[in-house]
Amino acid sequence: MEDKTKKALIDIVGEENYTDNLIDLISYSKDASEHRHRPDAAVWPATAEEISAILKLANKDRFPVVPRGAGTSLAGLAVPEKGGVILDLVRMNKIISVSVTDRLAIVQPGVVYADLERALAPHDFFFPPDPASGTVATLGGNVATNAGGIKGAKYGTTKDYVLALQIVLPDGRVMRTGSKCMKSSSGYDLTKLFVGSEGTLGVVTEITLKINPKPSLTSTAMATFEDLEDAGRAVSEIMHSGILPSALEVVDQQTLIAINQNTDLNLPEVEAILIAETDGHTREETQFQLNKVIEIFKKNNASTVKQAATKEEAEALWTARKSAYAVMSRINNSLAVEDLSVPMSKVPNILKALSDLAKKYDLKIPTVGHAGDGNLHPTISYDGTNPDEVKRVEQASAELFEKVIELGGTLTGEHGIGLAKAPFMHLEHDPVAMDVMRSIKKSFDPNNILNPGKMALEG
Amino acid sequence: MEAKYDFERKYRDQVLRCSNCGFCRAVCPVFGTTLRPAYNARGKMLILKEVMDGTIDLNDELIETLFQCTTCAACAESCPSGVNVPDIIKQVRKDMVNIGSCHPAFKGMNEVLKNHTNIYAEDEPEDFERERNKKAEYVYFIGCVGSFREDEATLETLDLLDRLNVDYTLIDEVCCSGVLEDVGYEINEDLVKKNIDLILATGAKTVITGCPYCSRTFINKPQYAGLEENGIKVLHITQFLNDFDFGVTTDKLVTYHDPCDLGRHCGIYEEPREIIRKIAPNFVELRHNRVDSLCCGAGGGVRGAYAKNSIAMARRRLEEVEEVGAEVVLTECNSCVHNLANAKLRKQKFKIYNISQFVNELMEEAE
Repeated sequence: MEDKTKKALIDIVGEENYTDNLIDLISYSKDASEHRHRPDAAVWPATAEEISAILKLANKDRFPVVPRGAGTSLAGLAVPEKGGVILDLVRMNKIISVSVTDRLAIVQPGVVYADLERALAPHDFFFPPDPASGTVATLGGNVATNAGGIKGAKYGTTKDYVLALQIVLPDGRVMRTGSKCMKSSSGYDLTKLFVGSEGTLGVVTEITLKINPKPSLTSTAMATFEDLEDAGRAVSEIMHSGILPSALEVVDQQTLIAINQNTDLNLPEVEAILIAETDGHTREETQFQLNKVIEIFKKNNASTVKQAATKEEAEALWTARKSAYAVMSRINNSLAVEDLSVPMSKVPNILKALSDLAKKYDLKIPTVGHAGDGNLHPTISYDGTNPDEVKRVEQASAELFEKVIELGGTLTGEHGIGLAKAPFMHLEHDPVAMDVMRSIKKSFDPNNILNPGKMALEG
Repeated sequence: MEAKYDFERKYRDQVLRCSNCGFCRAVCPVFGTTLRPAYNARGKMLILKEVMDGTIDLNDELIETLFQCTTCAACAESCPSGVNVPDIIKQVRKDMVNIGSCHPAFKGMNEVLKNHTNIYAEDEPEDFERERNKKAEYVYFIGCVGSFREDEATLETLDLLDRLNVDYTLIDEVCCSGVLEDVGYEINEDLVKKNIDLILATGAKTVITGCPYCSRTFINKPQYAGLEENGIKVLHITQFLNDFDFGVTTDKLVTYHDPCDLGRHCGIYEEPREIIRKIAPNFVELRHNRVDSLCCGAGGGVRGAYAKNSIAMARRRLEEVEEVGAEVVLTECNSCVHNLANAKLRKQKFKIYNISQFVNELMEEAE
């Protein structure tokens, strides 16, 4: 960082909110993906005005600016691949207002998902897209990745809840998009353009979210399947039965084996487990829905079906699904968490393809995921210090993406493209679509200041 | 390539296993106060990975993060990858000391314990108006903070033991010196020997400690194995008091702060609550409780080395007390009492006590 740029940044945010200390640069060199690159400096701005001044400076002095929330990205969205300045939004963590009457919450981007949940709970409201990293992930990050979560099949993802944004554009202008109304067909939908744009088009400084009344009751059941295809058929049938479970999750055999090898949970090593949760305001309502789900489980040859009678029992049924990440991240020193999505009817096909790839490349690829919306997380735990193994993981991933696209799927359901999937964008998006995306990027950010190197926008 | 430092020899696999998920941000008291990722466990592990890779070396630039950890173990409890960060930090601090990089406050503590018998270099011990080193069934071991900073609280705990007709004695105790292992040095064998000899001379079969850190040291450090070899049991005072009925209650709304040394480090969560249930039917849990308890900011040498952040951490904990509207905060650790009391704002009207001190006051009032 040149001295005059450093001085200008300090003039904007103050000495205490600027750093180029080694410890900070290292802590900003990674997110939860395997990508790594140090920035040259980091700042902790507190207002849209400060961010505007920083971006103007970046355009003048031509340095990259990478917005960052909690750095929980699994795809390298927050890694400063080309150096530059990290814009850590952690200080912009105020919940500005909650209006139950208008079903709105207005928040700054650094608000942690769990803090919003806590603020909404007394009103019996919630914000449904709940990433597994919700205790730390920020809502700015939710918007940047169009994050989903376990409730996606019934409640959708972040894009379904963002009504309006305040954004600082790369040239420093501040823009407001959308409206506080539940519906609007006024002009281009600029709000949606920014949801999932991974910090490449502007810096979100205020988010207006639609919030939902929270159903007070849930019912939970778990089914085991000796045959993966039976489980796949059950999922498909549930999702067109007229019942929308609030969660419908799958855990595959490789995951169950991994969990059993590393814990004393002693789970049945069947080809697949499905866990379903229904929600509502009366027990009758949740049970009616769950009965239908259980009926479909049984019709599709579930070998066992268990329904939880108490909250504790419900938690026990979730154990296999919820312990998967912890188990996988303990097996070895590196972790690749994929995030493919396929049409629901193709879930059994992709699980079969994963099993074939595991054999071909001599890897273990346990898979869990949101079966109800076809979004799966194959997770490869591997030795990142072994070049041969790293190569096999890379080859298997590349082949997996081809298969996903062949099945009509998408590279990412909720984690985003970032660095990890950038080389595969062309598989999913045709040359015209890529050209349009690159044109949009150029029209907002002609000097490629914001989060450069992501989403294959430099083509 | 051969490892350069002991932390790598002992913990290389764990440092590598940190998947950088960042979940520790939710629980790290230092991050919660400073909002600076470099101080969080993930930041520390990334730095150590670079040291192992050889892209950086241990040096003074790293003191600020590697020595700024209360070793509260909240990160370890919530880590999906099972990385025991406090153990790694304690080892890397020793490696830092070996190469001459150390926070001056930590170095000072080691120097003080070479020449004095307690961490405050106080040469005139409180006598607490009681005969010391006599024959008794129990030894009551106070600890440095209780002896020299929270002496009034200690006096009340001793009054309670008298009220309950416990046959105990104080000894001319010296610092257990366990803390030196946390701040980059080795436990002080001279001090250990002195404590063991004094305890054995009383003929007591049980040591009751007021300080949960002293309990941990006596039970876990091999240097104190002499206690167990001589059939001496070590109890924290909450374990000891759990057997008593006090016959007094309060109507006040009471909450409980789990000290890290008692909770996460010793697994003692229920005994203090059982005592409180007997005396305070009007009890409310803090938002972060038991294994999720939020550190008061005093541990791991942080209070001495980073006083401002340490107090700010205690303030965050006290905000949770305000949240539940409690009138009384109970805990049973003099370090926690001391730090929380120092952080309390004038507008905060609740009172902070050790459980034993509070029970004594209730019994006194009832008389």
